[in-house]
Amino acid sequence: MNVLVWLAVILLVLMIWVGGKSGARSFVSLFFNFGVVFFTMFFMLDANANPILITFIACIVIGCISLFYINEVNSKTVLAFIATMITISLLLFFIVLVSQNLMIQGFGEEEEEAIAGLSLYIGVDFVKIGASVIIMSTIGAIMDVAISIATTMHEVFKHTPGLSKKELFKSGVSIGRDILGTDTNTLFFAFFGGYLALLIWFKDLHYSIGDIVNSKIFSSEMILILCAGLGIALVIPIASWINAYYLVRAREKLNRVQKEER
Amino acid sequence: MVLNRIRNITTWQWILFLIVAICCLGSIAFVHQNHSFYDRPIAKVIDTTIKEETSVTDMHGNEDTLFVQQIVARIMNGEEKGRDVQLVNEYSSSGAYDQQYHIGNEVFVSIDSKVGEQVAGSITDVKRDKYVLVVAWIFVFTLLIVGHKQGLLAIVGFVLNVLVLSFALDIYVKYYEVSLLVVCGICILLFTTISLLLVSGRTEKTYAAIVATLVATVISLSITSLVIWITSGNGLRYEEMQFLTRPYHTIFMAGLFIGSLGAIMDVAITMSSSMFALYERDRTISVKALRASGLDIGKDIMGTITSILFFAYISGSIPMLILYLKNASPVGFALSMNLSLELARALAGGIGIVLTIPIGLYTAIFFIERKRARI
Repeated sequence: MNVLVWLAVILLVLMIWVGGKSGARSFVSLFFNFGVVFFTMFFMLDANANPILITFIACIVIGCISLFYINEVNSKTVLAFIATMITISLLLFFIVLVSQNLMIQGFGEEEEEAIAGLSLYIGVDFVKIGASVIIMSTIGAIMDVAISIATTMHEVFKHTPGLSKKELFKSGVSIGRDILGTDTNTLFFAFFGGYLALLIWFKDLHYSIGDIVNSKIFSSEMILILCAGLGIALVIPIASWINAYYLVRAREKLNRVQKEER
Repeated sequence: MVLNRIRNITTWQWILFLIVAICCLGSIAFVHQNHSFYDRPIAKVIDTTIKEETSVTDMHGNEDTLFVQQIVARIMNGEEKGRDVQLVNEYSSSGAYDQQYHIGNEVFVSIDSKVGEQVAGSITDVKRDKYVLVVAWIFVFTLLIVGHKQGLLAIVGFVLNVLVLSFALDIYVKYYEVSLLVVCGICILLFTTISLLLVSGRTEKTYAAIVATLVATVISLSITSLVIWITSGNGLRYEEMQFLTRPYHTIFMAGLFIGSLGAIMDVAITMSSSMFALYERDRTISVKALRASGLDIGKDIMGTITSILFFAYISGSIPMLILYLKNASPVGFALSMNLSLELARALAGGIGIVLTIPIGLYTAIFFIERKRARI
């Protein structure tokens, strides 16, 4: 039987064994997420479509699945969703700017063998596709941070409802800082692992540092890692601010209603 | 208020800030002036004109536009420094393997002919170092501003891990008889200790997380190798694995384990720090209660961390998939060629993550019990 089928079955069994019903749900959402990436790619095949717009829509769908399907629609997930979308928009803008200057779109000379024989003039915009790839790679981590901050800030607010907006914001940022280290680690190692072959290639072929830094494939990999870290860091203040704003406003509204009733 | 804040900054912070600022400015100044350090000639584009514009349709019906660009560039280093070189650049509007150049871009060139004053050449690559550096500094500053100490530690951890990996690969490449899996095993040991100590300091919970990470990594390694061995790798398309200079199987396995290590560490440290927090809050908490709340935490994080890994792996193959599909490859073929290894990595990582939950749970309970017995 196929390796992938085996691994998927083992993963499903383990998830159900450890997580029960919510484990099964996690597995299903992986499946959905995979489907979304797949469809996104199909829409990008259309040369007239704007990949950035498609990515944005894909992010909305992914957000809906991961936040609203796994948890449910409530103020926490909605706030996490908004924070994720704002972060992604900022990051997209930055990435498009960087990849245009760096010219890191498409394929590098190290990949020549893989693309040999394929027609390269296919009419899609590889700069924008490159930006989409970076966003899609980090959206998981950005959502994770956003939902953790939202959940914990709601919890903090429930226990100490008298906090000011600034104190709430600070507590959110400090929660975010605790996740920052581990989440960036997760992504760093994932990228290291994926590009181990490339690193060995550089060493085997005695690339000098200058060659490595300027090569298209390495700099695009570097930008991917740096932008992933940037996204995780950026979502922290954004999510904290949105949550603080919402919580304080909800409290003021409640106070006003109570006053009127009296 | 701002004044108050400034007064609160300690001398150490000032010194640190000063060092970072000097490094930043110094390195940026360096990469703008480092042309003489390169052996390859570098030229700066000073004038461009578009000579030709043609619409093309390839054999699969994809439409694109090709341009021919005439470039004049000034050579910045070497013997020809200061002279102008004539370059011709062909590029397409999709830009899969080529790009348009603008005035001010710096490119590596090879000089083909010299006839009198006329120097002609061709562009070999783009000088990207200054942009990479600027983005790196933006990353460093954002992490420092948002994350303060944790941000600094994340950067330090990243740099240390890169150094360890680079050193380990040097050893592997130099001594052919050293097995990559042994090198990676030692690397994993070092990565785990470095990263977890930096994330949460020298405490019991860090030790518990380190033990859990190593155990989970070994077990998930065995499961994945077993599956690949039983099925004799059926369904994995190694032929699309890129950048191969070595036997593909070991490189793939080594990459797979370094790749899932970060996620496994993430789960292990989250499990152990939240369980130790429960214990600190109530020293008399029963093992049963600890196990129940640990399992709840595990269930919560399982899905999100697996999907972080999934997105990180799967998204990377989008450009290649698009290229394949646009070249009229059958969908099934394109997917299995480009996604099988990435999917295997993601699934193996997921298995590692899920396994870490019970392993982390029992390791943390073991360490808590030991601590309790000591008191």
